[in-house]
Amino acid sequence: MSAYIIRRIGAGIVVLFVASFLTYLLVAESGDPLASLRANPHVTQATIAAARARLGLDHSLLDRYWIWLSHFVRGDFGKSTGGQAVEPELWQRLGVTMKMVIPATLIAAVVAIALGILGAVRQYKVDDNVSTALAYIFYATPVFVLGILLKDFFAIKVNNAAGHTILYTVGDNTPDFTGSTGARLLDDVQHAILPVLTLVLVTYAAWSRYQRASLLDVLNSDYVRFARAKGLSWRRVLLRHALRNALIPITTVIALDFATIIGGAVITEIVFGWEGMGQFLLGGLQGPLTPDVNTVQAWLVITAAIVVLFNLIADILYAVLDPRIRYG
Amino acid sequence: MRSSSPGRRSIRLVPIAAVAAAVLILSACGGGSSNSSGAASGGGTTTSAVKSGGSLTFALDEDIAGFNVLNASQAEFVTAEILDQVWPSVFIVQPSLKPVLDTDIVTSAKLTKKSPQTVVYTINPKAKWSDGTPINADDFIYNWQSQSGSSKFTDLGGKPYEPASTSGYNQIQSVTGSNGGKTVTVVFSKPFGDWKALFSPMIPAHISKKVGFNGGWSTFNAAAKVSGGPYEIKSYAKGSDLVEVPNPTWWGAKPKLSKIIFRFILDDSQQAPAVQNGEVNMVNPALPGLDFYDSVNTIGGFKVSVQPGLEFQHIDFNEANPYLAKVQIRRAIAWGTDRATIAARTGGEISKGLGPLQNRLFMTTQPQFKDVSGVYGKFDPSRAKTTLQQAGMTMGSDGYFHPNFGPQKGKDFTLNISTTTGVPVRSDIEQLFKSEMKTIGVKINIKNYTADKLFGTIGPKGEFDLIEFAWVSTPFASGNQPIYCSYTNASVCGENWDHYADPQVDKLFDQALQSLSPEQATSMYNQIDALLWKDMATLPLFQQPQLYGWSTKYVNIVPNTSSIGIPWNANQWGVKAS
Repeated sequence: MSAYIIRRIGAGIVVLFVASFLTYLLVAESGDPLASLRANPHVTQATIAAARARLGLDHSLLDRYWIWLSHFVRGDFGKSTGGQAVEPELWQRLGVTMKMVIPATLIAAVVAIALGILGAVRQYKVDDNVSTALAYIFYATPVFVLGILLKDFFAIKVNNAAGHTILYTVGDNTPDFTGSTGARLLDDVQHAILPVLTLVLVTYAAWSRYQRASLLDVLNSDYVRFARAKGLSWRRVLLRHALRNALIPITTVIALDFATIIGGAVITEIVFGWEGMGQFLLGGLQGPLTPDVNTVQAWLVITAAIVVLFNLIADILYAVLDPRIRYG
Repeated sequence: MRSSSPGRRSIRLVPIAAVAAAVLILSACGGGSSNSSGAASGGGTTTSAVKSGGSLTFALDEDIAGFNVLNASQAEFVTAEILDQVWPSVFIVQPSLKPVLDTDIVTSAKLTKKSPQTVVYTINPKAKWSDGTPINADDFIYNWQSQSGSSKFTDLGGKPYEPASTSGYNQIQSVTGSNGGKTVTVVFSKPFGDWKALFSPMIPAHISKKVGFNGGWSTFNAAAKVSGGPYEIKSYAKGSDLVEVPNPTWWGAKPKLSKIIFRFILDDSQQAPAVQNGEVNMVNPALPGLDFYDSVNTIGGFKVSVQPGLEFQHIDFNEANPYLAKVQIRRAIAWGTDRATIAARTGGEISKGLGPLQNRLFMTTQPQFKDVSGVYGKFDPSRAKTTLQQAGMTMGSDGYFHPNFGPQKGKDFTLNISTTTGVPVRSDIEQLFKSEMKTIGVKINIKNYTADKLFGTIGPKGEFDLIEFAWVSTPFASGNQPIYCSYTNASVCGENWDHYADPQVDKLFDQALQSLSPEQATSMYNQIDALLWKDMATLPLFQQPQLYGWSTKYVNIVPNTSSIGIPWNANQWGVKAS
């Protein structure tokens, strides 16, 4: 197993290197960071030339990539085109995304597994049909629609009924908040409820279907029938024999999806005004002085590393849960 | 300044100097001196009684790129709004677009000599930065040097300064202090009629010299906390919010609100629910559409005001195109464009009665505005068709004209129109224009690009036939020179992508820029616009309406369509006294 892990990490590093090179070329060639300066009739050519030199745009593309790489391997993510250090902002944005994604993943996983079990055990009964219908509705509903509906028809109505703000619709905290640590934590939770709920609803739907199908497959297998034939109770068969095997596929799916959501919850972030990793990437691609290659590269390296890591975790979990799987 | 505006508010700031300078033309201070009072306090407006304390949250649809609004890379409209109450300005542009002297900063500003042009400022003896350093001649000298564009003056590390504009500062010969630094004498090498535009706002010299003009203001640090105004910046959370609190060392009338929170909500459509939920008290989106207007107009206790802004949509003609090189064809296109309908069906959805714009250099809200379009500003499709025939075109059986000359000889006369992707109002304009051109026999293809490609490559390289976007106009008409002066003068007229050239226009611009008489300058600018109509250099469409919304819990809020924005008098805002 150790050798396998080391090989996977090595392969992951190669993947990161190739991805960083290709992304750098594509992003750097996709636009002109000086376009917004050129669009201003009052910015002189001398100023544009100075900005070009400051941003290193007078070097060749390969030179610029090499400069970025040689700094990156020493832990220096460089500066954005606006002159701000990329690294502190990167970790801050990652923290904001994690505040939303981690609880959403945990809650969605629990809900998906529970409803998946329900659906499999009560296959084609009323509760299974209702659960299935809801899953398809949430799976089909775009994130931004769900977010807006929750704001307009849930949060604002709850707040009006309560006579004060319980649920917040924008941002991950109250600006300039003064209060105890407990009060600050409560404020964070109040801001997180809507975006987390949105992510949970769109995520659990697909996972619950996976879980349901997986458990049905296991329940119909020979060893489960044999266990029942031996006289074991249905509950014991389900919890001690079937569930563990049925969790294997969903574990892999959750691990892979988690890595994807970290870099891609951009629509949820936009709807709720959270400045996380998705907005970090968008900011590097849109707006003034873009494309901002250093920002995009930082985003890429972190999200790619997380994807590689969670792929590895998924494979390891697979081996842990299924003793038939062994890596050399 | 171009408004690129895809989704986010990327309306880049026209340098405040330019704005205020333009307003100078309105200033009827005979002899060129200004000693008026009460400028920063919203000169001339009546204020309502307010309670002490409270906070107001203003939603901004763009985050700031840095804290130095005078730097080319950080000159954002939102930055100007944030610094309205933090960095001092010699003149404040009022909602009436008149500049009024801010006597909290400068007690007098006199044009003492016309040749060479000499202006003497007397700084308020109480004026000081919040760290105790007096506001004095050093600040004027530094602000001149950093924005002069001269290679004699350099930033930290010997690097060249990167100012957002050198307009006016590049015509100053010297800035000297006397009387303990409280009197400043500015001598010009060449007359600059809009001298009142200068030093508005001013960056703190003693701080900027230490941290650097270009790089020292990129992040929120001790430099950004120094204030010379009624408020100071307390905190900044990138992408989230910026908080201002009263400057305890402010020597003028104390502001009432204990906190102004600028909340960055990048997606305009999310601002209305935030208003409804009480998380936001004020909005001013970049390109408001009917949806936004409807969503905020129905919120109880929330006032919405729509006013014609200083931004206007227009179409450029590339005269390098062999057909658009002919003035007859350009005029025909203008006659065939129903600008009233375009205005009504786009900006007019939220601003009833919005009509076509008949002047490129002055907006309808400015006293200098005059309709000098003559016959060229009318909608006359039959005249358009006749003119196209006279220009050498023959109507084909398919309803499109066929040129008798050039690369499209015998084929449908076709032009491409380009604008930025992702901006609904511009897409609507293109579609309406296309259908109007069809009725006069001109085929239009739509080819759109991202903002950075359109303004970075397509426009500057002249790779277009027609291009549609918005200019952020200013009362500073001289700021239009780089757009309309002859393209052959590359150093000055770099923004003339249309290959337009008229020596008469060039001469009038030079004269107007150097005129110290506001009335004379106004007359010259209107003569320029008349020539631009005759030459049909560009086709102005309509003034973009600006939408302002605020909770009625607050009073003394007065929208300001100039590029200093609505917080221009935030020191007077307050919670209504019951």
